[in-house]
Amino acid sequence: MKTDPSHSRRTVLDVAAVLTRWLLGALFIYMGLNKALDPVGFLKLLRQYDMVQTPLLLNSIAAALPWFEVFCGVLLLAGVAVRGSALMLLLMLVPFTLIVLKRALAIHAASAIPFCAVKFDCGCGTGEVYICHKLVENCLMIVLSAWLLGSRGRKLAARYSLAKAE
Amino acid sequence: MKTETAHTKTPTRKAPVKAVLLEGLFVAVLGVVISFGANAVSPRGLTLTRNYFPGAIRSPPPAAAAPKPAPAGTTNAPLSTAELVAARLKAKDLQLVSLKEMAQLFRDPRYEQQLIVFVDGRDDQHYQAGHVPGAYLFDHYRAEKYLADVLPVCQAAERIIVYCNGGDCEDSEFAAVTLREVGVPNAKLSVYAGGFAEWATNGLPVELGARKGGNLRNEKK
Repeated sequence: MKTDPSHSRRTVLDVAAVLTRWLLGALFIYMGLNKALDPVGFLKLLRQYDMVQTPLLLNSIAAALPWFEVFCGVLLLAGVAVRGSALMLLLMLVPFTLIVLKRALAIHAASAIPFCAVKFDCGCGTGEVYICHKLVENCLMIVLSAWLLGSRGRKLAARYSLAKAE
Repeated sequence: MKTETAHTKTPTRKAPVKAVLLEGLFVAVLGVVISFGANAVSPRGLTLTRNYFPGAIRSPPPAAAAPKPAPAGTTNAPLSTAELVAARLKAKDLQLVSLKEMAQLFRDPRYEQQLIVFVDGRDDQHYQAGHVPGAYLFDHYRAEKYLADVLPVCQAAERIIVYCNGGDCEDSEFAAVTLREVGVPNAKLSVYAGGFAEWATNGLPVELGARKGGNLRNEKK
């Protein structure tokens, strides 16, 4: 009895996609909860980026973003609105990565240490990290989110798409 | 027939993109609503309209504070952390207290009479792990929780010294500005910039747990 190679490949991809969905979901829940349980700490870190000057806007980001990450993580873990959640992850990860990179470059320029030796708490929910590790981690999460966005991770999904049963 | 095929192909290619965007929008809207709701019900939630950094002054990244050797013939080397803090305090119209003054004030009989008051501007967790003996906890991020205890003491005191961890920590400054905003005269307020880290590493007494709980230790290093 022969097994169809394309079927085997599809099965492997499906399993990988489910694992990716769970991994990203769990990571976002973990990082989001770390921030949500210490909103003041996150607020202080967010302030260091000097992105917004208005207290209302700064507070709103610090108050809502961690819970939003948890929300997207839960959706991914459960397999609800997977592509919509993956899109949200991409929309968060890309600008965050650029902002973290900008700050790391500023620290690197101000201190006489190699770029990869730059270490700071980026407010990502994982404490102090080496910037190169963080950038690699974020790029990997961006690639995985983009992969999920491309119609992957349907297996074991409670409701893959909200529009209609796919 | 050809026209029909072309007509049916276009929507099927566009539909997933549109569906994904709509789904993303739905997730975004629902997520934002749930997120603000979670913040509102969370006991640690933030008050959106409050300014948690009163009198804040924009500062360069922490590494910029590290002293760098100035090129020969130039004098524009980056400011040290101590110089940055001193400049910030000056801009906020707050007085600076050194470790020596702090130790003197601690031994002053007026400290026992609460005419001199130390205010710890860190959070409860740090305070419980160790603070200057007799210092009052005032986490300005949760001001409403502590003001009832701290404000009367500060109003009755002749001198108030606020501290936090030291180094880049700005919480003592924000706590001092918050106290000023609620009516404590500015002339009474000073900031000990060296902070608890400097105090503890210089072998001065440290109180663990609650204020006046009797759990003292002397950190000699």
